[in-house]
Amino acid sequence: MSNEKDNEYREIFLAEALENYTEMNRLLTVLEKNVNDSKTVQALFRITHTLKGNATGMGFDKIAEMAHVLEDFFGEVREGRLEMGNEIFTSVFKAVDVLGGLIEAIKTPKDVKYRGIKTKLEVFIRNAKQAPAAGQAPQQSTGQEAKGVHALTSNPAPVEWPGDEDHDQSEVETTNVSFSDLVQVPVKKLDNLLNLVGELIIERDRIIAGGAHSSNEYSRLNRISSDLQYSVMDVRLVQVGFLFNKFHRIVRDASSKEGKKVSLKLEGTETEIDRNILQVISDSLIHLIRNSVGHGIEKPEVRKQKGKVEEGTVTLSASSESDTVIIKIKDDGVGINSERIKQKAIEKGLITTQDASQMSERDLIMLIFEPGFSTMDSVSAISGRGVGMDVVKKALDSIGGTVQVDTMLDEGSIFTLSLPSSMAVKSTLLFDLDNQTYAIPLSYTESVISIYKTEIHKAANGLIAVHLGNTIHIVFLSDLFAQSIGKSKEKYGSFDQLHPEQKLEIVVVSFNGKRIGFIVDKLLQQKEIVEKPLRKPFDSISYLSGVTILGNGNVCLALSIPGILNALVGNQVSRTINA
Amino acid sequence: MSETKQHKKDTTAQAHNMQIVVFKLGQEEYGLHIDQIKEVVITPTITRMPQTPAFVRGVANVRGNVIAILDLEEKFGLLRNQDTISNGNHFTLVIESEDYKMGILVREVPNTLSISSANVEDSVFTGDSQSEQSYITGIVKLEKRLIIMIDIFKVINEKEAQQLFKKQEVQDSVA
Repeated sequence: MSNEKDNEYREIFLAEALENYTEMNRLLTVLEKNVNDSKTVQALFRITHTLKGNATGMGFDKIAEMAHVLEDFFGEVREGRLEMGNEIFTSVFKAVDVLGGLIEAIKTPKDVKYRGIKTKLEVFIRNAKQAPAAGQAPQQSTGQEAKGVHALTSNPAPVEWPGDEDHDQSEVETTNVSFSDLVQVPVKKLDNLLNLVGELIIERDRIIAGGAHSSNEYSRLNRISSDLQYSVMDVRLVQVGFLFNKFHRIVRDASSKEGKKVSLKLEGTETEIDRNILQVISDSLIHLIRNSVGHGIEKPEVRKQKGKVEEGTVTLSASSESDTVIIKIKDDGVGINSERIKQKAIEKGLITTQDASQMSERDLIMLIFEPGFSTMDSVSAISGRGVGMDVVKKALDSIGGTVQVDTMLDEGSIFTLSLPSSMAVKSTLLFDLDNQTYAIPLSYTESVISIYKTEIHKAANGLIAVHLGNTIHIVFLSDLFAQSIGKSKEKYGSFDQLHPEQKLEIVVVSFNGKRIGFIVDKLLQQKEIVEKPLRKPFDSISYLSGVTILGNGNVCLALSIPGILNALVGNQVSRTINA
Repeated sequence: MSETKQHKKDTTAQAHNMQIVVFKLGQEEYGLHIDQIKEVVITPTITRMPQTPAFVRGVANVRGNVIAILDLEEKFGLLRNQDTISNGNHFTLVIESEDYKMGILVREVPNTLSISSANVEDSVFTGDSQSEQSYITGIVKLEKRLIIMIDIFKVINEKEAQQLFKKQEVQDSVA
């Protein structure tokens, strides 16, 4: 299994490296025509840097070494300390060819001599460093000098000068156009493919529902289309490691800026997740990690006083649990002070003092995700997590993910994100309302209860019910929808019309710790749906997350619980805090 | 095929014939350029949508595509018997552009008509100073008939769509 993974990594690295190599060649020819093109130099620098990083990660030391030297070289060129002359170009081209040879050698192992050309470049770099204001003339001599210096500094180990033999080899390499075993596909094409498969599944369900008498006949169709669906979903999966590995740099930058010592630990990098989901949450993850470093981890002196190791640790881990992927960001820093959050929230007018006293610690901490909680006074950064945390929340809402915070003062915090591993299939509960079928995502559904009208009470302009010790805010979903299209009903109208003996089916959903029960007409079954996003002109409807087509050909609307609940409670956190 | 069509258009630039689809809304006849119409289908089951204006009747499944169904009689404020709303003998004109996919409810099977551009009067002043008149692209006069040509994408233009579909705030509480 791990071997398979290794192979997959290697393939991806190869594809990327070959692409980098081709791009380098292209950029070099551009640069040759216009030596002073700083943009191209910058691009070359970036590519070699990326290649170096990737190669180091994969353990291809030779490629890493070579790329490193090239990176340094272009770094010098970028700084203007090294001017590219004809001779230098020849060497650089050769170096890139050798690099190409090294990359090729991963696929078909062979000995590629690279030390000679590497040393030559190193000499260029050293000379450039020694002569900071190198002009054209001294540069020419640098080239000449190089051989001399080389002779003096050459290692005791035999260093191969790029001789004729080596040269010939690279000639052969360049004529031999290499093909990667991977195909790059634009995500848009994959999206389209997934859409088509979605339609196929819907069509299959329709046919099977129609011809129920001989369901055996369709078992093959059933199996093949399911396999197809999962294969397409699988193609869209990427390993979280691709994103996680970029965080080393972010942690480094953030910690050096703050004067802290932080190491990043990655766990479960091979966990797979839908590419689009990873894209949506990438900014949020960066945000959370920056916060962990910025506000979580203490300065080395402080840590010492507390008896902790000077170097703080941020652990980023991923794991999958059936349909969800759990990403945890854990730090061993100060933790979150709920008292400070309470004060701040009261200051900002998010909650009243009275509400605050009733809120549990967990609810208080969740306040950091409220819009408007963002702190502007960086002075209080010690306890003030929540610089734009609402953005994190929004990103998660948009894909049906949730976030949970666990924190212990002086021990650290854990942010746990639960994300759907694929956006394609959603487990939902179907119900009828006004002769129309709706789907409600199971991920938000807490329970389904059935109670008599007499158990529901009018309270403070709304309806509440108590079930299993929980107070639930009850809403007639039909009224909510009617109101949204301008047909406002009398308050309690729907409620008063009901017969007292009427039994009501209620779907209880929870989101962000807010719990609301929706009265529906009839509960149907549980179903996995292939959700289609809302298209223009419906893309701004907040109550719905998408639509799907049922077996009978009718369109079924999928409710967006975050959308509905946000609209219902607005920013008033306090109103639905559970007693 | 499109080439020959193109060719035809070029040669008869002065007074070319054009194909229009004519349908009845209320008592009036409206026309759309045939290029804007993809197909005509029997209206499928419509699913109502929350947070939409009244003239948006909902969405429906047309050959696997979920499209918005619009009621232009409602939109244009044309009189209509309430009881015919849910009658099954409605047809839907399916319209497709890059941005929008939608259907327009019509009561009778629409006809196609070949008209000469000479019969089209371009500038129209309907006495309505509202911006909405801009979707009327011309009036076709044929003996006793008068057909109002509309540009369907202007009916649902971006600005209006944004206004109409913008998130409607829920009033204080929902009981």
